[in-house]
Amino acid sequence: MDLLAEVFSFVFQAADVFAFLVLAASGLAIIFGMMGIINLAHGEFIMCGAYVTVITVQTGMPLPLAILCGALAAGLIGIALERTIIHRLYERPLDSIVATWGISLIVTQGTLLALGSTWPGIGTPAGTFLVGEYTYASYRLVLIGSAIAVLVLIYWVFMKTRYGVFARATMQQPAMARALGVRTPIVYSVTFGIGAALAGLTGGLFAPTMTLIPMMGMTFIVEAFVTVVVGGADVLLGTAPAAIVLGVIKAALTAWYGQLFGQIGLLITVVIVIRVLPEGITGWLTRRRA
Amino acid sequence: MPRFLKLLHGDQTIGRGPAFWVGFCVVLLGALLYPLGADDYYVGNTAYFFIWIFMALGLSLIWGYTGMLSFGQTAFFGLAGYGYGVISINLGSAYGLTFFALVSAVLLAALLALLLGYFMIYGRIGGVFFGIVTLSVTFAFSQFLAQTAGPQWRIGAARLNGYNGMGGILPLSLPWFGEEIYIEGSILYYLLLVMLVVCYLALRILVNSRFGNVLVAIRENPERAEMLGYDIRKYQLAIFVIGGALAGISGAMYTSWGQFITPATMALPAVAMPIIWVAVGGRKDLTATLVGTFVLLYVFQTVTVYSQQYALILMGALLLLTVLFAPSGYVVAFAELLRRLTAAKPRDNAVSRRVIRRATDD
Amino acid sequence: MASILETRSLQKRFGGLQAVANVDFEIDDGELHCLIGPNGAGKSTLFKLILGRYPPTAGTIRFRGEDITHLRSYERIRRGMSIKMQVPGIFKDLSVRQNLAIALQEHCRPARLAAEIDRLAEFVDLTEQASQLAGNLSHGQQQWLEIGMAVAIKPSLLLLDEPTAGMSPEETFKTGEIVHRLNAERMTILVVEHDMTFIRQMARRITVMHLGTIFAQGTMDEITRHEGVSRIYLGESHDG
Repeated sequence: MDLLAEVFSFVFQAADVFAFLVLAASGLAIIFGMMGIINLAHGEFIMCGAYVTVITVQTGMPLPLAILCGALAAGLIGIALERTIIHRLYERPLDSIVATWGISLIVTQGTLLALGSTWPGIGTPAGTFLVGEYTYASYRLVLIGSAIAVLVLIYWVFMKTRYGVFARATMQQPAMARALGVRTPIVYSVTFGIGAALAGLTGGLFAPTMTLIPMMGMTFIVEAFVTVVVGGADVLLGTAPAAIVLGVIKAALTAWYGQLFGQIGLLITVVIVIRVLPEGITGWLTRRRA
Repeated sequence: MPRFLKLLHGDQTIGRGPAFWVGFCVVLLGALLYPLGADDYYVGNTAYFFIWIFMALGLSLIWGYTGMLSFGQTAFFGLAGYGYGVISINLGSAYGLTFFALVSAVLLAALLALLLGYFMIYGRIGGVFFGIVTLSVTFAFSQFLAQTAGPQWRIGAARLNGYNGMGGILPLSLPWFGEEIYIEGSILYYLLLVMLVVCYLALRILVNSRFGNVLVAIRENPERAEMLGYDIRKYQLAIFVIGGALAGISGAMYTSWGQFITPATMALPAVAMPIIWVAVGGRKDLTATLVGTFVLLYVFQTVTVYSQQYALILMGALLLLTVLFAPSGYVVAFAELLRRLTAAKPRDNAVSRRVIRRATDD
Repeated sequence: MASILETRSLQKRFGGLQAVANVDFEIDDGELHCLIGPNGAGKSTLFKLILGRYPPTAGTIRFRGEDITHLRSYERIRRGMSIKMQVPGIFKDLSVRQNLAIALQEHCRPARLAAEIDRLAEFVDLTEQASQLAGNLSHGQQQWLEIGMAVAIKPSLLLLDEPTAGMSPEETFKTGEIVHRLNAERMTILVVEHDMTFIRQMARRITVMHLGTIFAQGTMDEITRHEGVSRIYLGESHDG
């Protein structure tokens, strides 16, 4: 019984890290996979989702609805940003990194000016459960469930909807897609919007568990990068497996050696993976399937 | 004139001919005379600006000349800064050992660049991934140092002291007939000025040499460069290490100047600064980088007096505007404008604007 | 005659696709050899295998008697290969002179560099454009510039991947003359081409690839009389 409780504890920790990585990275990975752009303002979309969620809860909206508001707000801002700035930079991937970096700087400092250095939080929804002698916060289960739901949603959107067909066509053969009548600029805008909305959703989901500060995106961004680097260009084939692998590694290292080694372990994994699998897990899986 | 001196100007640097070198000498003379007329505070402050320029020149080599966008400069800066601190605290300042600490710190930064660069470049990490891997490493390094607050985090007599930073670091000093001369004030100013001029001229020679030719070839078309028989990974790694060492000079000099360093020098927003200086000035040219960095440091400091947030927003906006409207940088754009205005012969309209610079060069 | 390049049972698979299947291919020292075949025949893959852009699935490649199967691209280049790529591979933001200088600098004494650049620019007829940015040249001129760069490193085997793609008939003819002059100076040349007029102007010996294998080999006359060749061209390809 004791062993079972230990096993559950480990699995739960790993699943918790997995959820964090999937939620932190999926928006970034979609934008990168579809458009080849690394959005360095990704953390600021997360921050935006968190702030909107908390503020709407404080005006009396129930949390689930407020989280959706956060995602929606981030998504709309994402589309606006794509229309005004990002779409000029598709041919220049390095410049798009630099530009989104500038945006990130403006947004964090602007938020600091406008809303101050912290914003009162709303507290984690109550509820715990017990396995063996360990207690767990129920909200963690919500996060794990949400991560899985996000993956299913991504699968559905990109594999089963009309937009998904257009998006994949645009990604693989932009010229051909245009010739077939796909309005590629709209596809790019929507894709960027989806990526931003997922970031906003992540912010909303984690908002109750965190202190709200303008720089909170930082908490997510390194792990998101790491997951995307290890995973490669495809969200489903790359990000999800990468999050599982990294989740297990980090949970194990954290359990045995503490938080710091969990962090360092992630980075060492990245260094090894880039040396062994230059195209990430996506490249490896694609080659094996072919 | 020796052959290598001819490389002071060439295709890879703006500015040649008597007009440029006369201007260069005037600026240098002004810089040499500056401490004689200016208040000590301003001299120290200008020296502080000089400190950062090495790091920017390094990034210009890595990103502007070779095409690898790196966010690693502040990590090398930080490692050398901490390295200088730890070594100088442990060895003390006798026999000019602080200069040994300076050199070791720079080598330490170069070593980290070699390791990191090896894994990335030989792991065929390129393009956008090069940027985010270097950024992740830099963040992780600063987070690591931020949690070294406990007393167990010490190297010899030096306590890392976590987020609050390491203090009590010795400034550069030289023994002089039984006394110790501290390298500060105008002595520091002149030391940095000499180092800067030497670095700047040496790098001009480097980028106009055959080695520099290969760097820009790699930036323009790595496959073609390899198909001319160049082992491009060696060149990329070499320039990454040289750039890292330059960041190391900045880091060690910074720590000697302030006798203090914190992990914040590597984290946000500090990590964004080299990118901004280099991009806004003109990453593909050493002179543009140097001038741009100096001007931006001055502007940033001036605005920071009113509000740090406004200063950072201004920097972010400048970066964005550069990418959108003047990708080659404002100093470069200004230099081209100047050249076009002074060019005597009327332009033929068919030739694109970009040619003008090269054409009048030759 | 001695062969300069020789592949034995060379194979390349991409997943289920056999792009190059058991190719035994030889080029004699000093010859001018054309490689033709419909799209997807495996010509480009064969080029990339020869240059080391891909590792082969099986088989060996020998160059001037040495096994180069596992050498990296730049090492093969240093042993005397050179290529003009299909999409012009030039340094667009650099001047024509700089492009040539980067190619030449390891292959002539520094004091001779300027003279060598001039000579080479004249050879590919870009003397007047020497100070222009390479990106501003016409498509044909970019192709010539790249041939100039490929020749600058003094290769013993020059690979040309569709050197006349996108050229006008006059430009194509001029390219043919350039190639002939190089061959006359005893440079071995392997050309992948689609343009039949050009091939007629060029080659002594022609190899036809089809579905990853060598389908036929011979002189222009032999190839044009070969029934199978016209069938694969007419039946399965729209260009040629």
